[in-house]
Amino acid sequence: MSSSEQTQLPAHLDPKTYPRTHHDATQNIHITLTYDTLDANTYLSQTSSPAAGANILFLGTTRDTFEGRSVSQLSYTTYPPLALKTLAGIAEAAVKTHRLEGVSIAHRLGTVPIGEASIVIAVSAGHRGAAWRAGEEVLEACKEKAEIWKREEFVDGGMEWRANADRDAEGKVLGTGAV
Amino acid sequence: MPETFTIHYFATASQYTSKNTESLPAPLKLSALFGELEQRYPGIVQKVLSTCGVSLNGEYVDVEEDGEVVIQAGGEVAVIPPVSSG
Repeated sequence: MSSSEQTQLPAHLDPKTYPRTHHDATQNIHITLTYDTLDANTYLSQTSSPAAGANILFLGTTRDTFEGRSVSQLSYTTYPPLALKTLAGIAEAAVKTHRLEGVSIAHRLGTVPIGEASIVIAVSAGHRGAAWRAGEEVLEACKEKAEIWKREEFVDGGMEWRANADRDAEGKVLGTGAV
Repeated sequence: MPETFTIHYFATASQYTSKNTESLPAPLKLSALFGELEQRYPGIVQKVLSTCGVSLNGEYVDVEEDGEVVIQAGGEVAVIPPVSSG
């Protein structure tokens, strides 16, 4: 095995191969994996529709602590062959279940400075009930399934790869063995 | 030149192997994958792989149930630890 093979960055870790997207015009589904800053309006406008009376926008932003430890930096990596398929599947299921007019899921990769958006979810529906429910459902499904990993680096040194299965939507620690 | 397949590691798996990717000898049965990795990275099965999924050419596989499936030269395997998007 050559040393260049060892040091060569695989395409899925090379920011130059991004953004990677999936778009389904019939269902108005937009999926984006990008190393760029997430602009909320971009994704909100992707799902706008004259048939929609309710538009929900969720921004997940990077937090500066984990269990009281100060986080200096967070970064994300993904495996697009699986992540794009998983995210598209989540969006399709939400469109079907809640009769949505549009869904957009965008996730940022690489280093995300504290306080900036790492994930954006926009959904639109005829009425607010379906839109609220779909927004939460899509987010929870992303956190459970999308092949994206977060690494936290701490001010006091050290770093850890996080696993969403360890915590619920309120940030509470789930019992060991819970998946 | 020997025939190989590509294997990608993420998160805790890349931390354990100190690699993002590497080439391993092909062909290899899926049932032999974890043994091959254990030989190269002692302890990895219990500490990392026991909670990981595996994909072959962009589809999830079960290394036990699909054990007879052969990873061919040029194939792409990924080790998928518990995810943490958002």
